[in-house]
Amino acid sequence: MREPKWREEGEDPDYRFSLANERTFLAWIRTALAILAGGVLLEQFSSRIGPHVIIVVLAIVLGALSAVLAVVSYVRWRANEIAMRHGHRLPLTVALPLLAAVVLAVATTIAVLIAVYEG
Amino acid sequence: MTGPTARDSGLQGERTALSWSRTCLALAVNGLVVFRAGWESGVGVLTMVGALLVASAVALTIFGNARGRALSGHGRHHDRIPSAAPAVPLVLLTAAALVACGAGIACTLVER
Repeated sequence: MREPKWREEGEDPDYRFSLANERTFLAWIRTALAILAGGVLLEQFSSRIGPHVIIVVLAIVLGALSAVLAVVSYVRWRANEIAMRHGHRLPLTVALPLLAAVVLAVATTIAVLIAVYEG
Repeated sequence: MTGPTARDSGLQGERTALSWSRTCLALAVNGLVVFRAGWESGVGVLTMVGALLVASAVALTIFGNARGRALSGHGRHHDRIPSAAPAVPLVLLTAAALVACGAGIACTLVER
């Protein structure tokens, strides 16, 4: 597999910035994987709370969020590399508000389920 | 003074290599969860996908270690200024994460 074409445009940034960008990508992938594991394990070990359907829906929401974050992390890594090669500002990301909103919604639902179906 | 492209004697490379190990560990955990769910439910495809995810975590860990050595100046090209990551392993990791997402969602839907 050849290197992508955008690697030939602009100038190589200071490699430390590229490494920081790479670590940011890896941190987002880890976040996605942690959310995914959380969703799957929630479904597998939640025999005591809530109607099972709601738990399955929560797990699927977390899995879908994880997939979106995985794609966004790569797209953003690429966009950051390109912006740095051309000396532009780094692009904004929708991933942060999305992550916060979905995690808040899921956590609230789980809290309500625990409160209602406790024991 | 060091120029912007001079070799940094700091721990950039080490942090990056550790970041790869942590990420591969997270991928391996997801692989094991999928493997377990497949095993318990008797769905062979999930078991195989789980094993595949663990294997890709191992492969990417090996890549991360090699990259860490190259960045810290102990690799074969120790006189060369380190360069940005090649895109291929990042694409592979993203693909592995997406496979894990699909398998994870499938795990929640199979009958146990």
